[in-house]
Amino acid sequence: MAETKRLRISFLLNGKETWLEIEPNLMLVDLLRESLFLTGTKKSCAMGICGACTVVVDGMAVSSCTFPAFNINGREVLTIEGLSSNGQLHPLQKAFIQKGGFQCGFCTPGMILMAKTLLDENPAPTEEEIRTYMDGNICRCTGYQMIVESILEASRSEAGEIN
Amino acid sequence: MKSISESKARLDGEEKVTGRAVYTDDIRLPGMLHAKLLRSPYPHARLVGLNVSRAIRLPGVAAVLTRDDFAGLNPFYGFSVKDQPVVALDKVRYAGDVVAAVAAVDEDTAEEAASLIEVEYEQLPAVFTVKEALVEGAPLLHENIKQKHLPKYGRGCTGFFHEGTNICFHFRYERGDVEEAFESCDHVFEDIFTFPRAQHCSLEPHVSVAYFESGGLTVWTSTQSPFVVRQELSRIFQIRLNKVRVVVPCVGAGYGGKHSAKFEPLAAALSQKTGRPVKLSLSMEESFKTVTQHSATIKMKTGVKKDGTLVARQSEVLLNTGAYAEAGPLVIEKAGYRAHGPYRIPHVKSDAFAVYTNTVPAGPFRGFGGTQVAFAYESQMDMIAEKLGMDPLEIRLKNVLNKGEEFAPGDTPIDSDLKEALKLAAKEIGWHEKGRSPYRGKGISCALKDGGGINKPSNALVKITEDGSIVLSFGTVEVGQGINTAMAQIVANEMDMPFENILVAPLDTTSTPYDQGTLASAGIAVTGPAVQRAAQDVVRQILEIAGMVLGLDPATLRFGEGKVHYGENQSLPLRDVMIRHFGGTGGEIVGTGFFKVSRNNDAPLGYPCPFWEVGIGGADVVVDPETGEVKILKYISVTDAGKMIHPNHCRGQDEGAAMFGIGHTLFESMIFRDGQLMNPNLIEYRLPNFRDLPDHFESRILEGGSGPGPYGAKGLGEGGILPVASAVTNAVYNAVGVRIKEIPLYPERVLKSLSLKND
Repeated sequence: MAETKRLRISFLLNGKETWLEIEPNLMLVDLLRESLFLTGTKKSCAMGICGACTVVVDGMAVSSCTFPAFNINGREVLTIEGLSSNGQLHPLQKAFIQKGGFQCGFCTPGMILMAKTLLDENPAPTEEEIRTYMDGNICRCTGYQMIVESILEASRSEAGEIN
Repeated sequence: MKSISESKARLDGEEKVTGRAVYTDDIRLPGMLHAKLLRSPYPHARLVGLNVSRAIRLPGVAAVLTRDDFAGLNPFYGFSVKDQPVVALDKVRYAGDVVAAVAAVDEDTAEEAASLIEVEYEQLPAVFTVKEALVEGAPLLHENIKQKHLPKYGRGCTGFFHEGTNICFHFRYERGDVEEAFESCDHVFEDIFTFPRAQHCSLEPHVSVAYFESGGLTVWTSTQSPFVVRQELSRIFQIRLNKVRVVVPCVGAGYGGKHSAKFEPLAAALSQKTGRPVKLSLSMEESFKTVTQHSATIKMKTGVKKDGTLVARQSEVLLNTGAYAEAGPLVIEKAGYRAHGPYRIPHVKSDAFAVYTNTVPAGPFRGFGGTQVAFAYESQMDMIAEKLGMDPLEIRLKNVLNKGEEFAPGDTPIDSDLKEALKLAAKEIGWHEKGRSPYRGKGISCALKDGGGINKPSNALVKITEDGSIVLSFGTVEVGQGINTAMAQIVANEMDMPFENILVAPLDTTSTPYDQGTLASAGIAVTGPAVQRAAQDVVRQILEIAGMVLGLDPATLRFGEGKVHYGENQSLPLRDVMIRHFGGTGGEIVGTGFFKVSRNNDAPLGYPCPFWEVGIGGADVVVDPETGEVKILKYISVTDAGKMIHPNHCRGQDEGAAMFGIGHTLFESMIFRDGQLMNPNLIEYRLPNFRDLPDHFESRILEGGSGPGPYGAKGLGEGGILPVASAVTNAVYNAVGVRIKEIPLYPERVLKSLSLKND
């Protein structure tokens, strides 16, 4: 069997410069989970549908299960492990706990990161805007309404912190 | 220090929002191998030969597991009927049945090796639907099942195995005389209803890690019932129960799909063969091919008086249980028993059949057979009302069981006010409002299920240390419902200690006290009392010890705020009590609690149900006459928690259940063609998304206070799913005048009904 040529990449992972050699066919979710032991990113449908593996690349939410790892070369990656800073939970993380935005928690890292990009783009979304933006992330437990309320709560608390 | 009725920050909250929570697939052990399965492409075939020589020679492969590895063992598992082998022995019974497994250094190698296994099949004729399976002379899935037993029922119930047929189990419940009663009725209604097969779709697929070492077996697994898994492993591998250690990390939900053994025996067999830890992590597609809900065909015959009084009901319930029994015999029993619904009907006869077919095995699923029959009886209720010119709400209020009335002689009386719940649901959707817009309609539905399981023993353990910190241990699995948090609240409340003092111990069958499983909404209602009693036991012991230390009668002492209070305003801190009693630096006081409903031969199922779980739904829908699309504008779910320990989690359970119902009502269905599952993934199998949320979606939770759990609590989490399909189809009838007896409400199905009506 011919050895595949490994690729050398460097990127910013949760604010930290990272250098790696990877197989060209490696998906980002496997790089994060298997090579970097960042198991907060979850693998579920493996076809880019459910959003459980969502991470943020250069400010954009992507499904890491269908995102080739070499594509992060020179870019900035945020995973759920990088969201809280100095032990302080992000307002979304607090709101999801307070408002019952999850149950089993398997969709939660992806859900929270998707919501983060929503609030980055639109700090005060309406309920309707939340439903539309979040439509690509599946939660089988909550029935969604309490997630919508969690995101609304986070957007209010973030606004409160700025004011 | 009241800790209940308050939405405390959940104990697993911070770990789950930061990604630190460890699920089974996150576990990595030194030397761990990865397993992949070889599954049958044929729905029914004899296994003529297996050649693994190419697979075993692939570099990186540690072991290939086939039927040859089980010579002399008893590799069958299942509940009351043990018919499912760990790997196929003589034949395969569905497309997806496991033929062999490979353990290798990584998943890719294991998968490649699996593809190198040569299998010679001899295809057999197959049956895919219940109808095909029941034809005289139909090919049989199982010829000779050795391990099966009939449940010991009480009054009115009978179970049958019909040898030489594809009937896995036949359950009958009977009271009165339906035949004679139908004669006396003014109207008799006979209808057939069809319910699809949904998939649990836990976002975390099934996953297990197994490690055999020095005579013992440790399994980390995503399961709802670690003690059932332990029992199966002990039996299959012939090792004592205490040497099987089942550890449950975070579970990415179950909804019934992770009850009982799944691939734990297979992972264990691979570990035994290789001497190394083995992880078997299924793909979503493989989970689809592991266990499903039961599709159903229900024939319901109901006799009524012209004033709307229900007199008699005869039901024939046919569930497609797939290739193996799984929990099918239990699901069919519940479907049959619940088929007469929450109504006063003197004459009842249900014949319910779980039928084998060459499709994916069906097993436990949120609602457990109750969902399917509720769709039938609550659809027919509206049809009866229509025929008699009665209001659907009125006919329900007339016949629904009162609180305290018997559902069946010998069983627990109804413990919720269903009339109040019905009226609330009707009010919330504006039932009596006049002036409806075209194509818009409203529907209501009222359903129940016996909750808390049958003969389900639960133990709990609470221990307190001298610094006042508390460890709580019980065997109900935190699958997301928030059980750990609620149980900690109960302990905090009973012991008058801060909620923050309580740690829920990780679930490990070698240290956690026994619990039959996380099923039947039994957590709070059945394990809850065991936890409450364990906490009370600790307090009793503290007072006893303090009595000795202080030389006082324990009956004159009180424990509160971490101190023993005595005399007039005197108190001694717990630490002092313990140090003075134990001597030295401290110790622990360990309390235990137990709960189980006693057997009663008068109860139809042999045990009265711990409680009744109720689900009442109100739907306001609009139907697009051009496309047939049904949109739910408003959905109100009403249930009775008895007492809410954690209001937010109660709401989460009920809304989650209702959304499950919306899924199978509108679009969820596993499609089989010639035994092949056509949509085993999240692209082709449509789950509810954010945009499927009704504009107004709300759960209203009553607190009737009559449950067996602490403070009158009942179970939740399944009631919400029961009424959805009928509430919505009743609303569709109300909107456009077509009665749809088969769900999901695909737009083309609705459109076809509309065009038939207009012709």
